[in-house]
Amino acid sequence: MVIPAPLLIMINPIIVFLVGFLGEELKVEKLREAVAVVASAASVVAVYALYLMVKATPDGILVFYLQALPPLGACFEIDMLGVFMAFSVTLLTLFATLYSVNYMEHDTRLTEFYALLAAMSVGMMGVAFAGDFFTLFVFWELMCISSYILVAFRKENWGPIEAGFKYLVMSAMGATIIFLAMAFLYGMAGTVNFAQLSDALHGQPMSLWLYVVFGLLVVGFGIKSAIVPMHTWLPDAHPEAPSPISAMLSGMLIETGLYGLCRILFLVYEPPAFGTTIAALSVLTMCFANLLALLQPDIKRLLAYSSIAQMGYMLVGLSAGSSYGVLGLTAHVFNHSLMKGLAFLSSGSLIHMTGTREIEKLKGVGRMMPVTTFTMFVALLGLGGVPTTNGFISKFILFSSALGAGMWWLTLIGVINSAFSMAYYLRILKILISAPEEGVQKVREAPTLMVAVTVAMAALIIIFGVYPAPVVSLAESASKALVDELGSYIGAVLS
Amino acid sequence: MNEAFYLGFIFALFSVGVYCIAVKRNMIRILLGIEIVLNSGNLAFIYFSSLQSGRGYVDPLGQSIVIMSIVIGGCVIAVGLSLVVNAYRHFKTMDVRKLRRLKW
Repeated sequence: MVIPAPLLIMINPIIVFLVGFLGEELKVEKLREAVAVVASAASVVAVYALYLMVKATPDGILVFYLQALPPLGACFEIDMLGVFMAFSVTLLTLFATLYSVNYMEHDTRLTEFYALLAAMSVGMMGVAFAGDFFTLFVFWELMCISSYILVAFRKENWGPIEAGFKYLVMSAMGATIIFLAMAFLYGMAGTVNFAQLSDALHGQPMSLWLYVVFGLLVVGFGIKSAIVPMHTWLPDAHPEAPSPISAMLSGMLIETGLYGLCRILFLVYEPPAFGTTIAALSVLTMCFANLLALLQPDIKRLLAYSSIAQMGYMLVGLSAGSSYGVLGLTAHVFNHSLMKGLAFLSSGSLIHMTGTREIEKLKGVGRMMPVTTFTMFVALLGLGGVPTTNGFISKFILFSSALGAGMWWLTLIGVINSAFSMAYYLRILKILISAPEEGVQKVREAPTLMVAVTVAMAALIIIFGVYPAPVVSLAESASKALVDELGSYIGAVLS
Repeated sequence: MNEAFYLGFIFALFSVGVYCIAVKRNMIRILLGIEIVLNSGNLAFIYFSSLQSGRGYVDPLGQSIVIMSIVIGGCVIAVGLSLVVNAYRHFKTMDVRKLRRLKW
């Protein structure tokens, strides 16, 4: 089948690189920034076009084969969940790219920076669209490799190199473990195509090998999505990366890991088989991350721990195993990409203007940078789950889905953790708006474009908090595509 | 008998790689450990592709996946080595015990 026009957006890292290189050679000012912004805006439009195409099909699934039919050929199988994830990715990429224009202006090698940012975004889109395990793996590695370089982008300092190396070792280990899981699945079913795998293995009684694969999948994807025993790379890598990259990593990259885990668990296993394990990991993740976040003196490190805690909340939805739980999970992925993206971008503005990451030294900066402080305020309240922000809606769905699955203790622990997390969010706000000290008197508000991006994101958070219907209905069709309509997902390829 | 032999070898290779990552202090050796773990995955694919009976030949899917995965593994190791080079240039060490500045 011919590749449809919207998917051609996947070549945009190459375009960004070539045009940026041309602009450098011809000394055209700001050409690479312009092309990066245009390319990321074009991908939002392309994903919207894909959404319309998927919606127009009778069972909500588009399938494209490359070269040959499965099991031999690679394929893209695009359903609502894929479109939903891709939309969150491209939206956040657009914000991060716009923000980078001012934030990164003093760095060198910017052509590579924008090309890698686009490559990371395309990798995440590819993971969301993949119709077989191998396509997922290739795009997974595209996403990972570009993110290693972006974390270590400011290579003249010690921190990024150390964090980048640690991240590379752990994440490459995770990818190889996923590869091993793929090998065992292939050994059992003779194919790596998702639909055929599911057809062969779904509903089978749990054998030793299925348990082995389950363990490998949880560890492999868990490293990427920072589930607690495997989280140690995250609190190093996120603070050391440039702020727009932290926003991308925390906002979408770790959720892409969670997406892979959900997709494959629901394809191969019945929900009762994995519910308890995931619930235990979820409790561990929430409690551990929230406790450690309290102790952090560094604002970005605190936000990184808060990301781990949010992953714990999302796992609640997965462990419930119902389509209502997955609805909470997908809605929270989108909302968290906005909230955590905004929190990292706002803290990026604070760091850009004050030059420090320590929370204590930011005392009173809020009076000098009122708009940025306001957006930070919105993001942190959203992360804490205060009503009228979108974080409240998705957290509410997540925790009530655990009640529906009969796990009242999980809901209880989740709500306690969520309340507890307000302690460190409010601590940042209190320090930002307390009386200013000597050092910060001369701080000015961040450049207009940076402020405009953060204000737009804050507006989206409040809009989707007051009027959540669009996000929730889209997330609902995404979760139905994953859980309830598994049969048509399989049928679209096998027929 | 054959099956136990191959699976045992895959497991042994995996363990050697994990041991290498966990114990070695040199950054380059850690990267080699990752490569060894990846190779255990490749070996598993090759072995399972020979098991896909009923076609009369070895399944080409497993073989082609292995070729791609070797390429991808090469890319990852290249990025890792470039980080090692940067660490060495600035700080004159390849010892991971020195990578202890970021804590908590």
